Amino acid sequence: MLSLDVDINRGRFRLEARVEFEEGVSGLFGRSGSGKSTLLNVIAGVIDPDRGRVVLDGETLFDSEKGLCVPSHRRRIGFVFQDSQLFPHYTVKGNLLYGWKQTPPRERRFKLDDVVDLLAIGHLLDSHPRRISGGEKQRVALGRALLASPRMLLLDEPLAALDQSLKEQILPFMRRVRDELGLPMVYVSHSLPEILYLTDQLTLIAGGRILGSGPLHTLLDAEQIRSEDRLGLDNSLAVTIESHDAEGGCTFGIFQGRRLALPFRSALMPGDRVYVSVHRTEVALGKSFVEGLSIQNQLPGRIVSIDSAGDSVQIVADVGVLLRAEITQRAYRDMALREGDAVNCLIKATSFSYLTLDEGDEKAARSLDRSVIEMTSQVH
Amino acid sequence: MMLTEEEISALLLSLKVSLWCVAVTLPPGVLLGWVLARFQFAGKAVIEAVLHMPLVLPPVVIGYVLLLAFGANGWLGYWLAELFDIRVAFTWKGAAIASAVMGFPLMVRAVRLSMSLVDPRLELAASTLGAGRLRVFLTITLPLAAPGILTGAILSFARSLGEFGATITFVGNIEGETRTLPLALYTYTQTPGMDEPAVRLVLISLAVALVALVASEILGRRAESRLLGE
Repeated sequence: MLSLDVDINRGRFRLEARVEFEEGVSGLFGRSGSGKSTLLNVIAGVIDPDRGRVVLDGETLFDSEKGLCVPSHRRRIGFVFQDSQLFPHYTVKGNLLYGWKQTPPRERRFKLDDVVDLLAIGHLLDSHPRRISGGEKQRVALGRALLASPRMLLLDEPLAALDQSLKEQILPFMRRVRDELGLPMVYVSHSLPEILYLTDQLTLIAGGRILGSGPLHTLLDAEQIRSEDRLGLDNSLAVTIESHDAEGGCTFGIFQGRRLALPFRSALMPGDRVYVSVHRTEVALGKSFVEGLSIQNQLPGRIVSIDSAGDSVQIVADVGVLLRAEITQRAYRDMALREGDAVNCLIKATSFSYLTLDEGDEKAARSLDRSVIEMTSQVH
Repeated sequence: MMLTEEEISALLLSLKVSLWCVAVTLPPGVLLGWVLARFQFAGKAVIEAVLHMPLVLPPVVIGYVLLLAFGANGWLGYWLAELFDIRVAFTWKGAAIASAVMGFPLMVRAVRLSMSLVDPRLELAASTLGAGRLRVFLTITLPLAAPGILTGAILSFARSLGEFGATITFVGNIEGETRTLPLALYTYTQTPGMDEPAVRLVLISLAVALVALVASEILGRRAESRLLGE
């Protein structure tokens, strides 16, 4: 377990983080500039905080009061950078073995061959980093970090520089590393679907502050998190899948006892928990239940607040959770809405998008060779 | 074309002085280039100003300052003679020191530039893989800066081959000891009827320069392609 309590003050940028990362994969989610990369650099020992403590598995890595700072090369914390940072003057194999060679033999946890198999990079060993694709680079960078036998792995937006199809090719490898090596990981991203593909354990960060940690569905219960603009989680709902209507082209999910019609996605199983979100401009308002409408979802609620400054009007309605709708000034005038009014929030099934990755990725993940690879020693 | 003993001696002396000059300046040059490229500290501007002095001062000034410092009564010269029994004034060692001082800023500039082009994040990556500072320097920074270090060495070598003013002021023009190619050529031009040997020395100088430049080009290309994995 990793616990941090650190402050950094660099002029305009401030980071005040008190957070604990448990075993397994933790997702660190925030927009760019939120301080998530800085936090990762603090853990790795690349940036020294002005004040505070960093403790990994009972070992103090940094303590400003005691003047203690374990240098990054003695922390044994693996780091995978966004742009891989492979050494251009080494071959792929040389890169993979760089950290392995610095590790005393009895502390080595993985063998080259096993990691090469796990990440399917055997055909690249003699190539130079320049000659391989972006996706391959990231796999090599991941393998290089693993072969240094780290106690935990930090991944700093490892897929951000790749296009969508490459991301989908690499995520299953990340899952493999998670499942087969059991190494604690902190996965930093500004893409929620990416994180959710690997873990439901999230830490949310914005403006240099930790806003909360835990499973996303409990985080979404907190209104303060939903209303945090810098996270963009407003109108995100945790939904339990109920059934499919293949002919009707939709999937039904239960949200706070209500049935929602969602886009059809057959890969989901009844009972699965998924996250969906709807953009505030896609939420229409009605004063009462409307019959004879193509819109499938009508959520009754009450108006909590109205913000009519600007071109459009922002309306927050309580439908069990607070839902945000953006309507035009004209619609607002015509409807004469006031705080406390009963409204129906109208949302088309197809206006919902899943925050979890779509079917194609699930299939890709399953089609990957799942054979368990024997590691020299299993890590827990 | 037959060379006289005198000319051969000048050529060999020039090569010896230049090679020693590079050998002596390379380690401190690489170190200083690295420090200037990677660290910010108080007094950096002063160090840079002093470093660049030999580029802007007349070589005679440098030669005279060296003479004052390393001469028999100079504090460095006295110290060297007392402790190690080494005398540099009016010897080929002094000629090597003169060209080292003149070529040092060129070497440091080249090293510094190439080191500042090495992405510090590669060094960070190496450190998260367990490499300590020295190992990072030896396995990442140094090899990636190798083409620039080579350029620096060649520049310093070339500067040394052509060094004249500081050398003649500091160590004089003693045949077989400090009379390098440029000094020998100068001597011939000052002597009536020595045009033919003067032209021969010009040709030798041209040949040496050409070989050095071609060799550096080939070495540089090799280093670069090895680095970039081509």
